[in-house]
Amino acid sequence: MTPWAKLFLVIIFLILYAPIFFLIFYSFNSGETMYDFESFSLKWYKELFHDTRLLIIVLNTIVLALLAALFSTIIGVLGALAIYMAKRRQTKNLLLSFNNVLIVSPDVIIGASFLILFTMAGIKLGFSSVLLSHIAFSIPIVVLMVLPKLSEMSPSLIDAARDLGASSWNVMSKVIIPYISSGIFAGFFMALTYSLDDFAVTFFVTGNGFSTLSVEIYSLARRGISLNINALSAILFLFTMLLVVIYYFITQRTKLNGMGVRKR
Amino acid sequence: MNKILRFFLIIVVSSGILLYAISSLNTSQGYSGGNTLTVYNWGDYIDEDLIAQFEKETGIKVIYETFDSNEAMMTKIQQGGTNYDVAVPSEYTIEKMIQANLLIPLDHSKLPNLKNIDQRFMDLSFDPKNKYSVPYFWGTVGIVYNRKLLPDKEITSWNDLWNPDLKNQILLIDGAREVMGMGLNSLGYSLNDTNKKHLAEAKEKLDLLTPNVKAIVGDEIKMLMANEEASIGLVWSGDASEIMSENEDLDYVVPKEGSNLWFDNMVIPKTAKNVEGAHQFINFMLNAKVAAKNTDYVGYSTPNKQALKYLDEEVVNDERFYPSPELTKKLEVYENLGKRNLSLYNELFLQFKMHPK
Repeated sequence: MTPWAKLFLVIIFLILYAPIFFLIFYSFNSGETMYDFESFSLKWYKELFHDTRLLIIVLNTIVLALLAALFSTIIGVLGALAIYMAKRRQTKNLLLSFNNVLIVSPDVIIGASFLILFTMAGIKLGFSSVLLSHIAFSIPIVVLMVLPKLSEMSPSLIDAARDLGASSWNVMSKVIIPYISSGIFAGFFMALTYSLDDFAVTFFVTGNGFSTLSVEIYSLARRGISLNINALSAILFLFTMLLVVIYYFITQRTKLNGMGVRKR
Repeated sequence: MNKILRFFLIIVVSSGILLYAISSLNTSQGYSGGNTLTVYNWGDYIDEDLIAQFEKETGIKVIYETFDSNEAMMTKIQQGGTNYDVAVPSEYTIEKMIQANLLIPLDHSKLPNLKNIDQRFMDLSFDPKNKYSVPYFWGTVGIVYNRKLLPDKEITSWNDLWNPDLKNQILLIDGAREVMGMGLNSLGYSLNDTNKKHLAEAKEKLDLLTPNVKAIVGDEIKMLMANEEASIGLVWSGDASEIMSENEDLDYVVPKEGSNLWFDNMVIPKTAKNVEGAHQFINFMLNAKVAAKNTDYVGYSTPNKQALKYLDEEVVNDERFYPSPELTKKLEVYENLGKRNLSLYNELFLQFKMHPK
């Protein structure tokens, strides 16, 4: 890279990260405002951890993300397998396009349509409705994460397994799934982050008595600026960073494992 | 395969543990017991100490949730799936909610503190005989202006805004009823006028104001006025008192020609699970001392006559927020004008907004 290119990169990253760090910086302010840093203190964090309601919301968010990621991974992997195994090229493309449309369609529209669906189906708005919608919008992402792994797999692996007398179930559990496992994990973590930071869909389909962090931060922010929003956002940011790091290590490890069938 | 299964198992087990933790937390906090009351109110519109006091007195656990617009609140209640016990809509929304059959009639025998409310604010057109609602706070529409930026101007009437010296100085709130009302009031007509000729006149008069108008904005008007981006703003009194505490140079006036009078009232939506508790809560909020404490915190004008005794005299005698009886007579509540007239208002307001400067 030329020095100019480096400089450009640095500037861009600065612009992208500066607001987040600005926000985190003021979460350590002992004062009340975002323009006057008085002294370092953890009082906003203390206030956060004393608030059981908020703790419940944090736990809700995590459980929701875990369950949504789990179910969407299972369904998504099945979907990816179905697309992979589709015989005709046209069917494959058609299925893939249907999948991609869901990824690019705006959250607001997905949220509104789920709201209409749940109301018509008589599903009570709350944990279950939010979970269902999160599973639904995470599935296409899992499919997209798993599919490249499948296409990268050499078909001769499956032929070889069959030649050696493997049943269909054996082929699936001993050859295909181990081969695509890094894709499955990647899909799981992508779904997890998608569910964690989703605002629009959750905002639509949540009822009273159930709320997630992003919805709660929004309503706190509407109430006026208080620095415990900063503290909360800082924690959320760190948590997302943690997920990114885990994701990084997973991809690193599969690179080291190299290609081909796992030795065991 | 085994690795993945093991991983999934860990996820399932940890979610189970977390779910258990949530439910035990919920129970220990009383959120999931039988005796709860869900209150649905505007953000930052109650003194939270009062909720604790209510919980202590009655043993009912209050779940407090907030909304940021009448429309959002009405939608959540209308589409079901929620169980709000008490909500606090504004008067025009109450009328709509009554029509949509979304409210439960109040049992006045369970609300002995209703006698504390000033008779002026009872039995109004949007809810005859207060069958469905009781007043929570009230206020006016008026002009907030910056004394520092306008040192030698005294603003007392709507017509002062048409002064050519005020070029590019005025911010208007983006509401058809509010802005058209200003035009009608300045001509001496009623806010609820439906005479087409009067409305056209008002619109023409508003067109003459365009050189003075800097922008027509939403909620950000509070921030813009506090940051002195403009010297005059058309706002609700509640917003005015809020920004006046942020910027001391600001002052508020209810124009002498008259203006709008608005209410936020407590109601019990059809979705209520704890109707008995809801009555207790409403009655509690009507208690004179409680209302006084709440008014101190929120800063809006209280309809509670008995509560005035417990408030600072300075607050009660502030004619900007508790207008004199003569002025109060000139204040009008927005009536529901029906769909056709309302769209006429909106149409004229749109034309005014597009009027070339």
